[in-house]
Amino acid sequence: MKKIVIALLMLSLSFTAIFAQGSSETTKSTVQENTPIEITFWHIFGDARGQWIEDRVQEFNNMQDKYHVTQENKGSYRDTLQASLLAYRQGSAPTLVHIAEAGSQVAYDSGIFKPISEIGAFDTSDYIEPVLNYYTINGKVNSIPFNSSSPVLYINTDMLVQAGYDRDWTPNTFSDVIESLEKAQAAGITDAKYTDGIHAWFFEELVAEQGGYMYNNGNGRDSRATEALLGGEAGLRVAQFYKDLSDKGLLAWTGKVEDWGGSDNIFTNEKAMYHMTSTGDINVISEGAKGKFDLNVGMLPIASGTKRNGTVIGGGSIWLTKGHTQEEMEGARDFILYMTNTDNMVSWHKLSGYYPVRKSSVEKLDSEGWFGSDSLQTVAFNQLLDTIPNKATAGALGGTVYDHRTYIEEALVKIINGEDVETAMNEAIVLTNAKIKEYNANF
Amino acid sequence: MNQNKNAIFKAKVIPYLYLLPTSLVLIIFIYYPALKTFVLAFYRSNFILGTRKFIGLENFKNLFTGALAPGFIQTCFQTLAFAFFVVILGLSISMLLAVLTSEKIKGAKYYRLLLIWPFALSPAVASTVFSFLFNPEVGLVNTILQAVFNIKPGWLTNPYLAFFVAVFAAVWKNLGYNIVFYIAAFQNISKDPLEAAEIDGASRFSKFIHIIFPLLSPTSFFLLFTNITYSLFDSFAIIDVLTKGGPMGQPPFMDNVGMTTTLMYKIFLDGFGGSSNMGFAAAETFILMIIVMIITMFQFGIVGKKVNYDV
Amino acid sequence: MMFNKNKIKKQKDPIWIHIILIISVFLVCFPLVFTIIKSTQSLVEVTTPSLKIGTSFFSNIKHIWIDYHMHTYMLNSLSYAFIITLGKVVLSLFAANALVFYQFRFKKFIFAFIIITLMFPIEILILGLFEVVSNAPASSFSEFILWILNPMELLFAPTKYGFGIGDTKIAIIIPFLASATGVFLFRQQFLSIPISICDAAKMDGVNSFQFLFRILVPMSIHTIGALTLIQFVYIWDQYIWPRIIIQHDSAQVIQVGLNAIQSAGDSIQWNLVMAGAFVTIIPPLVIFALLYNSFMKGYALSSNK
Repeated sequence: MKKIVIALLMLSLSFTAIFAQGSSETTKSTVQENTPIEITFWHIFGDARGQWIEDRVQEFNNMQDKYHVTQENKGSYRDTLQASLLAYRQGSAPTLVHIAEAGSQVAYDSGIFKPISEIGAFDTSDYIEPVLNYYTINGKVNSIPFNSSSPVLYINTDMLVQAGYDRDWTPNTFSDVIESLEKAQAAGITDAKYTDGIHAWFFEELVAEQGGYMYNNGNGRDSRATEALLGGEAGLRVAQFYKDLSDKGLLAWTGKVEDWGGSDNIFTNEKAMYHMTSTGDINVISEGAKGKFDLNVGMLPIASGTKRNGTVIGGGSIWLTKGHTQEEMEGARDFILYMTNTDNMVSWHKLSGYYPVRKSSVEKLDSEGWFGSDSLQTVAFNQLLDTIPNKATAGALGGTVYDHRTYIEEALVKIINGEDVETAMNEAIVLTNAKIKEYNANF
Repeated sequence: MNQNKNAIFKAKVIPYLYLLPTSLVLIIFIYYPALKTFVLAFYRSNFILGTRKFIGLENFKNLFTGALAPGFIQTCFQTLAFAFFVVILGLSISMLLAVLTSEKIKGAKYYRLLLIWPFALSPAVASTVFSFLFNPEVGLVNTILQAVFNIKPGWLTNPYLAFFVAVFAAVWKNLGYNIVFYIAAFQNISKDPLEAAEIDGASRFSKFIHIIFPLLSPTSFFLLFTNITYSLFDSFAIIDVLTKGGPMGQPPFMDNVGMTTTLMYKIFLDGFGGSSNMGFAAAETFILMIIVMIITMFQFGIVGKKVNYDV
Repeated sequence: MMFNKNKIKKQKDPIWIHIILIISVFLVCFPLVFTIIKSTQSLVEVTTPSLKIGTSFFSNIKHIWIDYHMHTYMLNSLSYAFIITLGKVVLSLFAANALVFYQFRFKKFIFAFIIITLMFPIEILILGLFEVVSNAPASSFSEFILWILNPMELLFAPTKYGFGIGDTKIAIIIPFLASATGVFLFRQQFLSIPISICDAAKMDGVNSFQFLFRILVPMSIHTIGALTLIQFVYIWDQYIWPRIIIQHDSAQVIQVGLNAIQSAGDSIQWNLVMAGAFVTIIPPLVIFALLYNSFMKGYALSSNK
């Protein structure tokens, strides 16, 4: 026993010795930075995108000495919003919080955030219209758009060609998807399947494409939603799409809902021909496909016989919490405006595939020849710009968006497991209605 | 036993002063929050909005009727099933191993050493390691199964498999704790009856049934209590890291919530997640407290009487 | 070692016992060995079935230690575990001292009051405790007095005022300071102390403090060891309470930090996760190895009735 103790002690001591350098650095920096105003920024990115944020933070800190920004990755959107609300109730809220489109109503209702346009005018004319519209509630710009995206269809064109299609063919409707998969299967490509992360966001987008509403009262935009529609007929058509895929053995998924990474892996490991996911994953997927297969990007498929409405702008924006001095809030806003300035949005777009949310960034990218005819980003970008502005494509507003997402995902899993489409969707509606009733009873 | 035999000091105030710190902490941070949780169950309290509204028994009504009830009832059922398997498997495996390593065999000391170290495992570490081992795509278990049998079970995505992976992670984590207590108990029980039995030529099995098992019963009784509370409460980290409460059962069975959602996990989700209602979560907490009390009373009332304290 | 006194003739070890034990040891130890091996591999190697020791151990550790703030979490968890364990030992010593060596009213009631809390672990109280710990305190003294004097508000309404210490290190420490287990263990131990020692001490005229620290503590050293072991591991394992009450990385515990490595980014870097798991298990393992013998002796003492 004693020898083991000594060995373990030595091991832990050696850690300390190796990394003494690392920790002393941190202590030094906290001592030096006593004077500037502290600004904290909580966001969801942990990978290269988190590093990109850290780099911008460093640049901003080096540019001026009035403020000192620190950033922390808080996990998923749900976790980040939850952590910020908890922290606010505890009087230690971060200055800036990264919140997804789905959290908008909750963030707005919570009353812990200050509309960013209230702390003094800033120029909003440079932002792309559909993006800015989403984050404008009751006529006020609430938050600064940062990472905007919508889903697109990623295609393994090698499989497509083997199935007898042109390399640049893309499916337009659900039946195109199924038909082409069946042809590929018939051609002996057993891995020709459709995959996505089984995230209700995709469901919402496919409903919006058909002009369907998730909630009554104009998708929750005219007045507070009191009833869940979950797409109504349009929702049933989307659910039926999943059922058909699953019944015909054409659906590949990891068995886990909201599995972004898992579905990316299925696709880049050539276990699927189609993959629906965010434009924000464009680089992750191109990297994964490199040397394995040819990649193309198509618009979202729509239900046969419906009109294409366009997509809801997804992704996140940066919100400012209440309870700070005017100076701190201005500093926080200036940091975000710096992080999302023309040049930074260009590099952000190149790194991540998220839309460059500024017109000037788009122009710059265009002049660099970024949007060539063969560029994968072009499809995604056109899909956004061609969107018909209406209440369906403006996106649902509701305090129960995270609840209905859970219920829709549960319903989809049930449908994949053999449950009848209408029964499963009705259950989701009943459950969401129960939550809406609870939520609205708070007001 | 005379409680006052050692009471050598007589002072009016000093004993209360000695008890003050412990009592204060318990009153402020255990009893008062327990009372407040109970009170909260009668309110609709949205944590995001910071609202509170008295609604009488509505939260309790919603537990058992209406759209949200099936999910709650299923959760209660699986919580008890989870606790049952964790406790039964945990105690029987650890008792068996403790008894075997206490046999006079070669290398007993090393066996013991290699079996008790999980004492240092935490639920989060145990489930982190399991989530990699049983990862359907890159986990070692499936890599081997696929190479040997060409099968790839969805350990964390099939509801029944996920349930048992969580059970085994919980059992593994607590094995060291249980074995350590059994070994300690074994070292301290009187060896005379065992030696007598051995001279009489009793088989191992009959020695275990007639002598060892009864002699270990006070420790089993203690471990039963700690393992029940462990499986009901501390397993939160295992669920949070391993399955996040999912996956759901195949319709029409167990398809209202994820099969690994335990009451503790649901309380957390309903109170602090989604469109929160802390009152609803508090009502669930109240039910969980009642479950704990019933189990405890059952344990002390029925099992407790059969425990052999004659050591 | 436990049959060293018996004189029965030595039999051959039945082979089935060894088979069962070897299989069990393999099942129990393999996940740990696996964790250690995987923590030495690079991102590319880690998802392959290879069980060869890799060369990336130090770069993995360095990565989590700095980029994933494991050094902060490690220091936090260590200080929480040491401070709380020390507090639990001292407070339990005090309480058990009063319960055993003093005569006073309500003794049985107070003992029951302490022991009942075994049924209410922190986990079940998160909703109520969250409000008590993190709600803002009353803004003025008079407001506070008015509130505390109104039993309806104080007891039967949702928590109005709290300590306002959410998201601080104190919020983790204070609620855990008392220990029903500790009081119980020390009480058992003190009751087993022969009356002659107590009488002798009394005749020497030692006061109660001297009695506690000069006589009781040295006699209870193994019980203290046992309690330290149990409580250190208990605190080290805490997960749900820190996850709820702590939002800033600077005060977070290692168990939650470990989960953060797994949740960061789209694809999990298993080499880092395994390195994190390995690092997380070392401190309780050291404490366990140090205090195991003490625990065994302490157990023997407390079960002597």
